[in-house]
Amino acid sequence: MANVTFPFPYPQHLELMLPEIIIAIMAMVLLIWDLFLGKDKKGWIAYAAIATCVATAFATIQVTTGGALTTFYGYFVLDPFASFSKLLMLLATVFAVILSLDYMKDEENVGEYYCLILFALLGMMLMVSANNFVTMYLGLELMALSVYVLVGYQRDVLRSSEAALKYFILGALSSGMLLYGITFLYGVTASFGFDAIGAGLVNANNSAHGVVMLGMVFVLAGLVFKVSIAPFHMWTPDTYEGAPTPVTAFISVAPKVAGFVVFMRVLHDALPAVQADYTMILVVLAALTIVVGNVAAIAQRNIKRMLAYSTIGHVGFVLMGLIAANEAGYAGSLVYLTVYLFMNMGVFAIIVLMRRDGIQGELLDDFAGLSKVRPGYALAMGLLLFSLAGIPFLAGFWAKYVVFMAAIETGHLYLALLAIVFSVVGCFYYLRVIKYMYFDDVRIEFNFIESIPMKMTVVVTALAVTAIGLYPDPVMAICKQALVGLI
Amino acid sequence: MIGLSDYLIVAACLFLLGVIGLFLNRKNVITILMCIELILLAVNINFVAFSHYLQDISGQIFVFFVLTVAASEVAVGLAILVAFYRTRRSIDVEDINSLQG
Repeated sequence: MANVTFPFPYPQHLELMLPEIIIAIMAMVLLIWDLFLGKDKKGWIAYAAIATCVATAFATIQVTTGGALTTFYGYFVLDPFASFSKLLMLLATVFAVILSLDYMKDEENVGEYYCLILFALLGMMLMVSANNFVTMYLGLELMALSVYVLVGYQRDVLRSSEAALKYFILGALSSGMLLYGITFLYGVTASFGFDAIGAGLVNANNSAHGVVMLGMVFVLAGLVFKVSIAPFHMWTPDTYEGAPTPVTAFISVAPKVAGFVVFMRVLHDALPAVQADYTMILVVLAALTIVVGNVAAIAQRNIKRMLAYSTIGHVGFVLMGLIAANEAGYAGSLVYLTVYLFMNMGVFAIIVLMRRDGIQGELLDDFAGLSKVRPGYALAMGLLLFSLAGIPFLAGFWAKYVVFMAAIETGHLYLALLAIVFSVVGCFYYLRVIKYMYFDDVRIEFNFIESIPMKMTVVVTALAVTAIGLYPDPVMAICKQALVGLI
Repeated sequence: MIGLSDYLIVAACLFLLGVIGLFLNRKNVITILMCIELILLAVNINFVAFSHYLQDISGQIFVFFVLTVAASEVAVGLAILVAFYRTRRSIDVEDINSLQG
C-alpha cells in the first residue's frame, strides 16, 4: 500500500479554537436531540443552549493568553481583543435566548430556532478571530445566513417573512460589494491576510492607487452595511420591526459587536496605508448616520422601529471611535459596545414582557401608564432609556464621553460637536417614552409574560447600567486591556 | 491578445448589470436573486483573472468558497421567498410593502 502523506502538517494548537469547537458540536447535537424531544419539552433546548454559552465563556477565558496566538496556518487568531468580543457576544446570546423562552414557545420547531442562534454565534466568533479575508467572509456568511432565517422565523406572519426577504436581498448585495472590494485588494497585494495586505499596500506603487481606492471603497461599503451605517441603513428599520422581538434584540447587539471588531481589524491591520482617505469617508458617514438616526427616530410610533433608528444613531457614535483610530478611540468603541449591550437588551426585555397577541407592547402608546401598574418595570425602563439618551452618571453617558473625547483629541472637533447636538435631539424620543410611562393614563389592559429569567434580565441590565454609570473605571480598564492584539 | 484589463472590464460590466438590475427591477423577486448571482460571478471572474495574472493559487481557492456560499445563499433566499409567497400570494417587488415608515 502506498504511503499517503497529508500535504500539509497537521494544524498546531487547535485548542485555541476550543470555544468555536464547543459551539459547533453543541449546535449540531442539539439539532439532532430536538428530533427526539416531545412537543412540550422543546424548552430544554433553550436551557442547553444557555449552558453551552456558559461553558464556551469559560473555555474562552481558559484559552486566552496575554498575547496573540494563531492556528490553522495563521488563518485564525486568538488574542484578548477577539476573546473580549466573544464574551460580549456570548452574553448577548444568553440574553437573547432568555428573551425567547416565552416569546417563541408556541412556534413550530422551536428547537431549530435555538440551533440557528448558536450557528449565528459561531459565525460571529469566527469573524472576530479572523485575520484573513477568507476566514472573515466565511464567518460573516455563516452569521448572515442564520440571521436571515431567524428574522423570518414566524413563517405565517407576513411582516416577519417580508423583513427576512428585505434583509436577505440587501445583505446579499452588501456581501457582493465586500467581495468585489476584496478582489482588488488581492489584485494589488496577492494576499488575503490583513497584515500582508497592509504591508503590500504600503509598498504598492502609485499607478495602483486607483485600484486600491476602488477596493477600499467597496470593502468599506460591505462592512458599513453590516453595522447599519447610513447610507446603507435602509434595511434596519424594516428588519427590526418585522423580526420576532428576541431576534431583534439579538441582531441589534451581537452582529454589531462582531461587525465593529472586524471593521477595526480591517482598518487597523489591512488599510493603514490609506488611513487619510478612509478617515475622510468615515467622517462623512458618521455625521450622516448620527443625523439620520436621531432625526428619523422622532417620527416613529412603533418602539421597535424607533429603537432601530436609535441603533443607527448609536452606531454613528461608535464609528467616531474608529475615526479617532488610536488606543483611546478603539477602547472607547469597545466601551460603547459593552454598555450598549446592556441598555438594548434591557429595553427589549421589557418590550417582550409587554407582548400580548401580535403587536401589543410594540406601540409607544402601549407604554402609557406603565408606572401605575408596574412601578418596578417602569423604573428599570426609565433607567435604561435615560442611559440610552446619555444622561450623566448612567452608563450611556460615559460611553458617549469616551468616544467624544477620543474624536476631539484627534482633531475631529466639528464631528464631536455635531454628535453632541444630535444626542440632545435624541433625548427627545427617549424622554417621550418616559413621559408616556409616568404622566399618561393607562390605555390598554396590561398582560405581562412574566418568568423569573425575564425578571432577572431586566434587573441585571438595569443594575449593570447604573453600576457602570457610577463606577465606569473597571469597564474602561478592561476594554483598554482588550486592545492587546489589535494595537 | 486578451490581457488582465479585459477580464476586469467584463467583470465590472457584469457587476454593474447585477447592481442596476437589483435596483431598477420592478417586477419579480426571482430576477433579484439572479442579479445577486450575477454580482457573485463577476467577483469570481475578478478573482480568477487576478489569480492567473499574479500566478498565485489562493485567489482560485477563494472562488470555490464563494461558489459554495453562493449556493447556500440562494437556497436560503428561495426558502424565504417561498415563506413570503405563502402569506402574501405574490412575489412582485411592488407587493413587498407591508413594512413602511
